[in-house]
Amino acid sequence: MEKEIIKSPDTGDSCIHVKHSSGLDIYICEMPGFSSVEALFGTKYGSVNTMFKMRDDKEYTVVPEGIAHFLEHKLFENEDCDVFELYAKTGASGNAFTSFDKTCYLFSCSKNYEESLRILLDFVQKPYFTQATVDKEQGIIGQEIKMTNDNPEWRVFFNMLRCMYHNNPVKIDIAGTVESIAQIDADLLYKCYYTFYNLNNMVLSIAGNISADEVLKICDECLKPCEDKGLETVFPEEPDEIVMPEIHETQPVGTPIFHIGYKCRVCTGQERLKKSMAASLAASILTDASSDMYKKLLDEGVINSSFGMEIFDGDGFFAVIFSGESSDPARVREALTAEIERIVKEGVDEKVFQRIKKSTYGMLVRELNNVEDVANLLINSYMDGVGPYDAINVLSHMNSSEVHEFMRDELINDRMVMSVIEGEAE
Amino acid sequence: MPMRYKRTELAGNIGFSTVIDEKFKTSYIVVRFITALDSKSASANALAISSLSSSSSRYKTLAELNEKLSSLYGAGLTSFAKKRGDVQILGLSASWINNRYAFDGENVTGEMLSLVKECLFSPNAADGAFEADSFKITKKELLDRIDSELNNKRGYALSRAAEIAFHGEPAENPCYGTKETAENVTAEDAYSAYQNILENSQVEIFYVSANEEPVVEKMMTESFAAIRRSPVQVTFRTKSPLRSEPVTESDEFDVRQCKMVMTFKSDSDDIYALKMLNVIFGATPVSKLFFNVREKMSLCYYCASRIMSEKGALMVDSGVERENIEKAKAEIIHQLDEIRKGNVTDEEMQSARLTLDNAVTQVGDTPASYSAWYFERFCDGKIISPEQLFEEYANMTKERVVQAAESLRLDSVYLMLDKEAAE
Repeated sequence: MEKEIIKSPDTGDSCIHVKHSSGLDIYICEMPGFSSVEALFGTKYGSVNTMFKMRDDKEYTVVPEGIAHFLEHKLFENEDCDVFELYAKTGASGNAFTSFDKTCYLFSCSKNYEESLRILLDFVQKPYFTQATVDKEQGIIGQEIKMTNDNPEWRVFFNMLRCMYHNNPVKIDIAGTVESIAQIDADLLYKCYYTFYNLNNMVLSIAGNISADEVLKICDECLKPCEDKGLETVFPEEPDEIVMPEIHETQPVGTPIFHIGYKCRVCTGQERLKKSMAASLAASILTDASSDMYKKLLDEGVINSSFGMEIFDGDGFFAVIFSGESSDPARVREALTAEIERIVKEGVDEKVFQRIKKSTYGMLVRELNNVEDVANLLINSYMDGVGPYDAINVLSHMNSSEVHEFMRDELINDRMVMSVIEGEAE
Repeated sequence: MPMRYKRTELAGNIGFSTVIDEKFKTSYIVVRFITALDSKSASANALAISSLSSSSSRYKTLAELNEKLSSLYGAGLTSFAKKRGDVQILGLSASWINNRYAFDGENVTGEMLSLVKECLFSPNAADGAFEADSFKITKKELLDRIDSELNNKRGYALSRAAEIAFHGEPAENPCYGTKETAENVTAEDAYSAYQNILENSQVEIFYVSANEEPVVEKMMTESFAAIRRSPVQVTFRTKSPLRSEPVTESDEFDVRQCKMVMTFKSDSDDIYALKMLNVIFGATPVSKLFFNVREKMSLCYYCASRIMSEKGALMVDSGVERENIEKAKAEIIHQLDEIRKGNVTDEEMQSARLTLDNAVTQVGDTPASYSAWYFERFCDGKIISPEQLFEEYANMTKERVVQAAESLRLDSVYLMLDKEAAE
């Protein structure tokens, strides 16, 4: 078990990486002067991972949608109590979340982190479900699905994904549907657990007021060695084309909200990091409040400061999303496509590019100033197959022609969709 | 070196606090104007403060201002209007990366400080009015924001509950005023509201950085010296009178899940006991509400309490099925009764202390958290350190928590109902 020190050539920040003998990857960042501790224990298992097999399996197993999230809820229960009750004894604030391509269990605290870390490592390695507790959870998650249906931000986003993806499970709500979760039973949960919660498929990240030696000592005590069984996940075949260009839904909202998304081709590791950075700079240029397009739309009254962008990428999906509130989303789409066309034709303005690059660099430096952000950076970069400080380095080497190429090759009209949620006509 | 906190008073009754903490890679400044919340001025005040962060005398449009900020490594400049009981808090804040991270060697701190000064003391205005085009955009922004409050159902339900519980008091007003009042504000009104704010509001300035910057205090002293100040002191705590009989009001929307907000009121002055009670009752995942109403009885998807000590009120908000509303309401009251009866275990007391201790110890991990902490204490009327506050909780007794629970009375209930299930 060797400690590898990873250092950022750009900011001088550093962290420690250890490949633990149990199979787990561990990232530790000691942050002198800070009081709090943030720890995340995660698995590369999210809502999109519905098809998988082990090295020795002949066939792929297909499981119902929403099972990763269901498992997350159930792991929060021990045989005799709730995990929250355990954290109540240390004062830590514990939580968990499931996203499209990962599930993470986390705590934050400022005291007794050692005990909280033991709790975290222990309960995630100790599944306990019975049919009775599974049945009860179906009701709770059913409520959660209902609640998210009342959230217009959530609806506008998933409606957009449904326009974009034919087969990729990314288009399904992370929690699944009332029908899909009805198919989940205790046996299926155990199967998924032992497949994805193998330490070789997992990572621990911890940052803040900690000692790396102490963290590793606790890991030695608590981690149970796992055999790497050669997990393989696959996704259904997904064409480059979109499903349909537009979708509208009525909900109680004030100003209508929209998502305009471009479906992009997927890639992995360093290639994805580069592409993601180019996409982020391109989208920042397009939503830059100093641009002529922004000024025009603002003067016309069709956008407000909620107009923004997001790069939505993960295992098997990649999209650039422009979103906001607008009384006329079609006008925003028209202006956006015209602006992309103009930049593709005329090239990216070098001055604008340098300014946006600086602004992005500032944002990445800020992240290193915050315990929670650092712990998240460590886990996310591992999940994405890159180093913790690679993003800042990729940014420093990026030039405007790469951004131009991204716009030309990926922000294509035929692969653009628009989702709108509007209030009922009065 | 540990952090160094200092608060001084500048001429004109201006509170000036600094925190120097070498671990930070960024600096932060916030200037807060504190004034009574009033339906007549709320919108004009909110528009005045927003006008400061959308342009300035040198950067005459949002585009120009934004260009400047992004060239300074994406520095942030924002304004806000918040409500705290009967008080409106208007603020302008900025944050930026320290000069040593600026790869082109710019003086980011110097540039940002002069920008903040310019936004505050030399806004984009002439002849007694904010510049018309910028003001039009700022106003639309506020109107959109008021409109979009409905998009967040939980937040909307809480606002409606406050409107009902504090009816007839300043706290019934939204912090930005209403759509109608906002629509009527002109660029002249907003500008004159800003002059009034500069002259008559309480001002608290907070600067957090890795390095001492004596220039900040000098800059603020000199800038405010040009203003004839006669600040009006606000009252941060005004207990809301209790209704003789609880009232229930409801709205119907096309939603799938109903919301219920119950407001309780207290006449107790023991704010620390009320805060601790809130933690035990409904502020954590091991609280009585979460554990019983959500987990054990599955009556609500969420059920949590929050304390508004500035009004002596406690709100319980929940997401609930229509058929479970009465059951959930009865169980929430039952759980409060349990505390009133003294059914609070030593473990619950200890766990609440640990929760509060952890929250308190984390203060200082971000520049903004220092500022929020000391400002809260300022509003409480007593500036104490995080350690001193924790002492208060360490010495808390079960008896005081029980008394705090006994002091709570149900005042009003707000229901957001699903339309389709309606008769």
